[in-house]
Amino acid sequence: MKPSSTTLRTFTTVHTWVGLAAGFALFVAFYAGAITVFRDALPLWQSPHRLDRVQWLGDAQRLLDGVLERHPEARTHMGMLFPGGELPQSIAYWQDKTGVWQFATLDDLDGNAQRPFTELADLVNELHYSVGLPVAGTYLMGLVSLLYGVALFSGLLIHWPKLTKDLFALRPGRNLKQFWQDAHNVIGVLSLPFHILFAVTGVVLCLVFVFASALNPLVFDGKLMQALPAALDTAPQRPVANVPAAPRSLSFWYARSVEAARAQGLDAFEPAYLKLANAGDANAVVEVTGVSSRSLGPQGSIALAAASGDVLASQLPGHRDANHATLASAYALHFGDYGNAVVPWLYFLLGLGGAFLFYSGNLLWIESRRKRRQLQQSRAAISMGRATVGVCIGLCVAVSAAFVAAQVFEAAAPTHVDAGIRWTCFASWGACVAWAAVRSPAQAARELLWAAAAVTAAVAAAHGIVSGQWLWNGSASGVGIASFVDAIALAMSIAFAMLARATAYRMRHGDPNSIWASGGARR
Amino acid sequence: MWGRALAGALPGFFLAAALTGLLAWCAPGPWQDAVVPSLIFFVPTWMLILGGAFLFADARRAWGWLTAAAALAFALLGALKTLGWVL
Repeated sequence: MKPSSTTLRTFTTVHTWVGLAAGFALFVAFYAGAITVFRDALPLWQSPHRLDRVQWLGDAQRLLDGVLERHPEARTHMGMLFPGGELPQSIAYWQDKTGVWQFATLDDLDGNAQRPFTELADLVNELHYSVGLPVAGTYLMGLVSLLYGVALFSGLLIHWPKLTKDLFALRPGRNLKQFWQDAHNVIGVLSLPFHILFAVTGVVLCLVFVFASALNPLVFDGKLMQALPAALDTAPQRPVANVPAAPRSLSFWYARSVEAARAQGLDAFEPAYLKLANAGDANAVVEVTGVSSRSLGPQGSIALAAASGDVLASQLPGHRDANHATLASAYALHFGDYGNAVVPWLYFLLGLGGAFLFYSGNLLWIESRRKRRQLQQSRAAISMGRATVGVCIGLCVAVSAAFVAAQVFEAAAPTHVDAGIRWTCFASWGACVAWAAVRSPAQAARELLWAAAAVTAAVAAAHGIVSGQWLWNGSASGVGIASFVDAIALAMSIAFAMLARATAYRMRHGDPNSIWASGGARR
Repeated sequence: MWGRALAGALPGFFLAAALTGLLAWCAPGPWQDAVVPSLIFFVPTWMLILGGAFLFADARRAWGWLTAAAALAFALLGALKTLGWVL
């Protein structure tokens, strides 16, 4: 089937405008998302001295007992991380009387509204799912993901007639627009299955409750909300018995859930976190969630009666219902939490590739409006160049600056890490956008790329100075994870420097009739 | 352009909702057993309709066809429920 030329024109327009509308936010989502793939490594990199001791279940038990004793609200419902999984140390969390989540560790049983150890990972994750905007940011990102789906559909349709012929065509040479177009197409086509996946699961994660509320009266006869707990949770709802009963120990629940998983044929079930409801009551329920390998949705959970240890219900890989199987797989597919150690790297590259897709989309818009026979370029092209450079390269600078700030504040003012990294990130991002607004696009691109290279190299340097762990001695001292963050930072710093040099070369030697030439961006 | 975009967004939303309903109710077993896959199904369906609306030659046809399709799908869903042919 070959679409008519009118259809192609329509869809080119759709693709262009949907892409421009969503492209900036998607660049942020993909760049921050690529880093979020390695979210579990960031706490160890950020605060090795706070996490140097690996806790065992006895420590976690003392945390659990301490929290339940001090905080009556936690008895209704609380959760905690098992030590040694996501983090070496356990964290307990519950909602206080006003509904605000509180987090406690063994060193801080009173609790705090800021999740400990993960300030940096949380900031990058927030950039990923909300561009860092509170509340509305998540809805914005849901809308953006919806537009992203439309952009994928229209992009595929435009490219369809040439899809197979041009798949491996990457034509460097005099026609630079063709080269960028080829690069845009090949990355789009080869990662298309994952892009469809990210678009769909992205919308689901951001907007599922909006859609659920809309679909509830339309097709589910108003009974959707009653159906959701059974579809999403493992533990059945048990009424409070109002009879006190001593709960079993944490290590008993741990052993019991591993045993129950083995009974269902899962040899490697590693408990990651638990949810405890109505602690101290005879009908208290504990839900242990853990990870088993060899499943597309590796997370599964087992609900136990907290007092007796009887298995009440389970949703484990291979033995779960359609709702839990789909949910676990959708999560794992979005976050790359399945398969072996290659998958996170694949997702990291997909994230950077996606960021390139949106950056190159904006460049192609500028290039296709380029005035080929005159130095003076249109105002719209110059503004788009400035915005693209300021927002996109500025974000790269800002994320690296937040990493540097995390080390500085951990060393100098450990109680202000969260505020410090946020201010650094958004202030440096704003400064980059402002800088790009007053420079020509080409100058701004070159200077901000050099800034990104310098700040990203400083990520590894700051970590080395503060912790004494450098690339060459980090692995030897048993903190290989931290040095691998440094290694990625150095590799990216080199990449930014190479892009900066290429931009400078383009300014001097490229076609002068362009906003990317050294004299080409006069208003 | 905007006319077709709105056709995908408004009647298109209702068409996607009705198709989600048909999938949820017609699948074997009570719809509660597969409500998560049904809710996920809604998203790519609406995305395809949002994009597909531009395949119509003009806004009037897009609105007409999508509204008719949505009405038909809701009528079918309502009939199946009333007749008790689906759980």
